[in-house]
Amino acid sequence: MRPSAVVESRQPGAVSGWRRSLVEAVVLTIFSVVVGLAINAARPHGLPLIASTPYEILVPCPEPGGPVERVTADDPGLFSPRTFLVDARGPADFAAGHLPGAVNLCYDWLDPVPEADLLALASEIAASGATRVVVYGDGGRPDSGEHLGREISGRGIKNVSFLEGGAPAVAEEIAP
Amino acid sequence: MTGGRLAAWLAVPMRWYLGVLFIDACLHKIAHPGSFALDIATYDILPLVLVNIAAITMPWAEVAAGGLLLAGHRTRAAGWMIAGMMVVFLAALSIALARGMDMSCGCFASQGAVDEDPISRLTVVRDLVWLGLALFVVAFDRGLLGVDGWLRRRSV
Repeated sequence: MRPSAVVESRQPGAVSGWRRSLVEAVVLTIFSVVVGLAINAARPHGLPLIASTPYEILVPCPEPGGPVERVTADDPGLFSPRTFLVDARGPADFAAGHLPGAVNLCYDWLDPVPEADLLALASEIAASGATRVVVYGDGGRPDSGEHLGREISGRGIKNVSFLEGGAPAVAEEIAP
Repeated sequence: MTGGRLAAWLAVPMRWYLGVLFIDACLHKIAHPGSFALDIATYDILPLVLVNIAAITMPWAEVAAGGLLLAGHRTRAAGWMIAGMMVVFLAALSIALARGMDMSCGCFASQGAVDEDPISRLTVVRDLVWLGLALFVVAFDRGLLGVDGWLRRRSV
């Protein structure tokens, strides 16, 4: 009986001890806040309490899509029947001339590529039996082919490459 | 040595570790409140009107809690403060990670040190460990080798 009586007599004290320490924590926090504000006010170049303009936050956006490799125009597998070619240029450029067998999906820098179009292309690639995908764009910097390649790669298609230099690098192979 | 006594002694190095850690963490923030405000703004959680106020006041709560833990005075209250701050930091970190943000933790340096202190799941684990240490101190510290113990002995 005696030990339990001791425990019972301690419990209210223990609870009040926890409560007291919590209250002390709140008081200390408030005191710290007041001290911080006072020291900031006394500082010659203290921070204004409320920022007048939003902060310019420089956080890199997460890299969209998946990995791509770089290939050059003299790559021997570029025109292999097992290579699926994708033209990332606009429809007008594609109509004017493209690599034989290439499929067009325009990569627009201002508008994201519609998800439905990407998934349809991914399905077409998967159904083609190709073992490799090469995307070419206008060869600019940044390269639309590389970016579309990342988008395709990010939709679960493996072994995606982009053609360095884009369509101009294979100009003699391009036909209407 | 009883379990409670052992835990009380174990709490002493934990208390010192947390004390040094939080004082170290607040030095940069007190010296460069503008950089710390940018760190807080980068998390994109607080409204703009609260960013500077948090940047001005939070380091002083850290220095108070860290100093009290080192001194061994009001250690339970200081432990609660650390635990509360860790919960806030963990929530902010988790939100940033869920958003896929590639940024510095801002715990010990500014966003300029993103390569040295990037947020990751490891940062969350690290903060969880520190939260556990703070709660251990709250639960078991008895002011050994500190002002509280000295005051108690003096009063006896």
